[in-house]
Amino acid sequence: MIELGGLAPRPRWSLRLTAAATVGVIVIGALAVKLGQLQVTDGSRLAALARSNTVHRIVLEADRGIIYDRHGAPLVENSPVWSLAVMPAALPSSARDRAQELVELSRVSGIAEEKLAAQLLPADPFAPLTVKANLNQAEELAISERLPELPGASIVQRLVRTYRDALVFGHVLGYIGPIDPSQAKQLSLQDYQPDELVGKVGVEAGLESTLRGADGWADVEVDARGEVKKVLAMQPPVAGHSVYLTLDASLQEATAAALGAGLARDHKTAGASVVVDPRTGEVLAMVSMPGYDTNLFTRGISRADYNRYLTDPDKPMLNRAISGQYAPGSTFKMVTATAGLQEGKITAQTLLSCPPYINVNGWIYHNWASYSLGRMNVARALATSCDTFFYQVAAMVGDITLARYARAYGFGQAQGIEMPGVMPGLVPDRIWKQLQCRVPDFNSDACRWSEGDTITFGIGQSYLLTTPLNQAVYVAALANGGHVLRPTLVHEVRDASAHPVKQQVTDVTGSVPASPDNIQAVREGMREEINRPYNMNYWFRAAGVPADGGGKTGTAQWGGSGLDLPTHAWFVFFAPYAQPEIALSIFVERGELSEVEAAPIGVDIMKFYRNNVGAIRA
Amino acid sequence: MTHRLDKLQPVLAVMLAALGVMTVFSAHADWVRQIVWLILGGVLYVAAAFYDFRRLRTIAPALYAGMLLMLVAVPLVGHTALGARRWLAVAGFPLEPSELSKLIVVIALAAYLSRWERISWRVFMGALGLVAAPAALVLVQPDLGTTIVLLAVTAGMLFLSGARPAQLMSIVASGVVALPLLPHLLHGYQKQRLEIFLDPNKDPLGAGYNLLQARIAVGSGGVFGRGWLLGLQGQLGFVPERATDFVFASFAEEFGLVGCLVLLTLFGTLLIRLLRSAAVAPDRFGELLAGGVFCILFVQVVENVGMNTGLLPIAGIPLPLISYGGSATITTLTALGLVQSVMLRRRSVAYQDRTSPSGAFRPPHAPGVGSLRGW
Repeated sequence: MIELGGLAPRPRWSLRLTAAATVGVIVIGALAVKLGQLQVTDGSRLAALARSNTVHRIVLEADRGIIYDRHGAPLVENSPVWSLAVMPAALPSSARDRAQELVELSRVSGIAEEKLAAQLLPADPFAPLTVKANLNQAEELAISERLPELPGASIVQRLVRTYRDALVFGHVLGYIGPIDPSQAKQLSLQDYQPDELVGKVGVEAGLESTLRGADGWADVEVDARGEVKKVLAMQPPVAGHSVYLTLDASLQEATAAALGAGLARDHKTAGASVVVDPRTGEVLAMVSMPGYDTNLFTRGISRADYNRYLTDPDKPMLNRAISGQYAPGSTFKMVTATAGLQEGKITAQTLLSCPPYINVNGWIYHNWASYSLGRMNVARALATSCDTFFYQVAAMVGDITLARYARAYGFGQAQGIEMPGVMPGLVPDRIWKQLQCRVPDFNSDACRWSEGDTITFGIGQSYLLTTPLNQAVYVAALANGGHVLRPTLVHEVRDASAHPVKQQVTDVTGSVPASPDNIQAVREGMREEINRPYNMNYWFRAAGVPADGGGKTGTAQWGGSGLDLPTHAWFVFFAPYAQPEIALSIFVERGELSEVEAAPIGVDIMKFYRNNVGAIRA
Repeated sequence: MTHRLDKLQPVLAVMLAALGVMTVFSAHADWVRQIVWLILGGVLYVAAAFYDFRRLRTIAPALYAGMLLMLVAVPLVGHTALGARRWLAVAGFPLEPSELSKLIVVIALAAYLSRWERISWRVFMGALGLVAAPAALVLVQPDLGTTIVLLAVTAGMLFLSGARPAQLMSIVASGVVALPLLPHLLHGYQKQRLEIFLDPNKDPLGAGYNLLQARIAVGSGGVFGRGWLLGLQGQLGFVPERATDFVFASFAEEFGLVGCLVLLTLFGTLLIRLLRSAAVAPDRFGELLAGGVFCILFVQVVENVGMNTGLLPIAGIPLPLISYGGSATITTLTALGLVQSVMLRRRSVAYQDRTSPSGAFRPPHAPGVGSLRGW
């Protein structure tokens, strides 16, 4: 082909073609302007949105510490539970595939299809929604197999506290649950997640900071399906410390069995028992009945179950051992005796009469016996539990002094044990009573202390209140010669690598201001009580346990005079007599006769302890 | 004869295709297949360039009839994906007739409109009737995007063929009249897309998600982009259809404003080159053919970039030579090859000097230049 002069062919731009080119340039220019706006003006804002799309901080939950008994038997474990979760955004986008998946999900989970759809519809499309919680292992396996065909569905594993024998250990261990609105503000200061579970009662709550550990975190890059693609930075979690309680699991079970059997024997429903080591303050057993199933709480208790517990007249969720406040009745007489002896009002040999009643300012105060028991010393008065003897001593000592001795034995004080809800009980005196009235009034019976108040105070009635835990501390002080010990449930704390970080240290919080001789005289009375033939001694002989120790029963009236409600039964006890190793309190609500109701329970516990002392003290 | 070719046009196409493969690779689509399609498209490009485009006028009715047949076959034996039935299996390859229909409609319209110097109302209505059948068949697939392309290309070609202002105004007017009817004509998802376009924040996690995520991707690219293979939104799958309809968002995130301006410049230059080809065409058919190819590319680039940036409602339209997809890539390259065919057969100074020693140009579109047979 020949070309002439290399002349370029000249395009002939018609008006329409020129117009089209102009439109093209203008429109593409407009696109460029829009791009400039998006990428320059809005660029950093949109880039931040992209980051928040893709970079997430996830919390790595720390394993909660395990709780063991003193010998290392686990009382709670973190057991895995599985739940089926669905992320709505990851479901198939086509309506037909989506409907098909719902049918399949309904089949594997056993939840009606309409219910599933109703749950998924309003949910946040990017938050996995728990469709079914607490799958059992078989369900978990069945669903896991099908997961590849179920986009958007996943099995979420979570560790749940599972408590050993909740009816026996439940009141001590407590349980964990969601943070209350009232706790939320306080706890959020310590980096708690809103959905975190915290100890609610028992040592789970009392040792929350020890058991909890420290959550870690990871900054991860996730894709549109929420799958983690890359870990950008992370801080591993630190597991919570393990706690070895002072409890001996076998003694705890034996105590629960003895208390349960004792209650059942006389158709009683409620009671409590605390067993402590009078040398250290360690709580070896603590039982409150009725118990409740703490495992229901950790898996999300149903409203029906919760209401059942709330409305039960026996109040199963009340830990009577630390929170139940009752008059101590005759078990208080050792305080009156200590005060009388130490204040010099009586001596160990002083003989006072034990008439069927005494008359104070025209009011009659009866002994439990309608006949005179004759003249007796303080030990004999304790052994026979002569009310009129102690009326006289109380009158001699006076309410202010008696209250002082009561407080010295730990009455009226919330004991510093490692759980919340510990009640102090109440030690009354004339000052306390006057403070009950807003306006001081020295004539009103409501706020004027009377001689009768002092006299009944001397036998553990009046306004006096105590708890089974306080009683155990009190009898431990009698056992060890007057040292009031802080009761403790923590034997040892170990970190995640099993290195001990804390050991139990005996904490003497006070001493009874009494000479050893005087305390010895009181102890003598307690020994005599359990050795009385045809009376308390019967239970020891029946059980084949030597009555080597000291004990005191108490039958406490309550609800005010004249109501004549069934009395509460108490028994406090320590053993052996010379070198006491255990001190215990037994409480039976509406137990009526303490000698037949409460005392045999204590003897059963003592028997178990003697037979298994090697294992318990190992 | 190579001097007759538009040498810049294939260079631009190769540069765009290269950017396309890079983006498709980054978007985790099957880039090897895309290269295979590009090679296949390249072969067809060369074949189309050597093919005398004027013969297309003769076979235009046959092509048109074949296209209608394929579009009718789609709902009967086609494959379904993403809720639409668009694919035919041809020799084992998935073929999307609606993509091919863009080029065939351009050929048919060029053949039809080139028969008349002036566009009477009768001819105008004829042109509309010509495009109505394929447009309706594509709309019911449903494929709103391609329907819009077909209608816009028709309007563009009527403009280039010299349609009267009143005729062009009537297209605009009928569009305005049709607008209130639109909600009744559209499928549920199409209606939703329109509502989302009007208010993108209405349902940010539901139907507005695609638009929002695409805009976030485009914007987060900033001036220089995150870099190739480093886009967060695209790499992690937040950009929907990241290799096809929203490939531009993937591109914009990784290459930034600078990359986008380069891309738009390449497209802009290519488009101007296509108009220039129309301007040197030897006859009215060639002019309209090149002009029609310009319209196809222009409409697709504008709608695709527009929807990726939130300027226009979402419609499933690929970005020519960039988006992953066989039918679209092959169709685009074949169309560009046909434009080269027009270039090869253009009036040249040498040619004219030989046939008309006076140097005077032969009047354009004179009878006898092309055959009018067969229509």
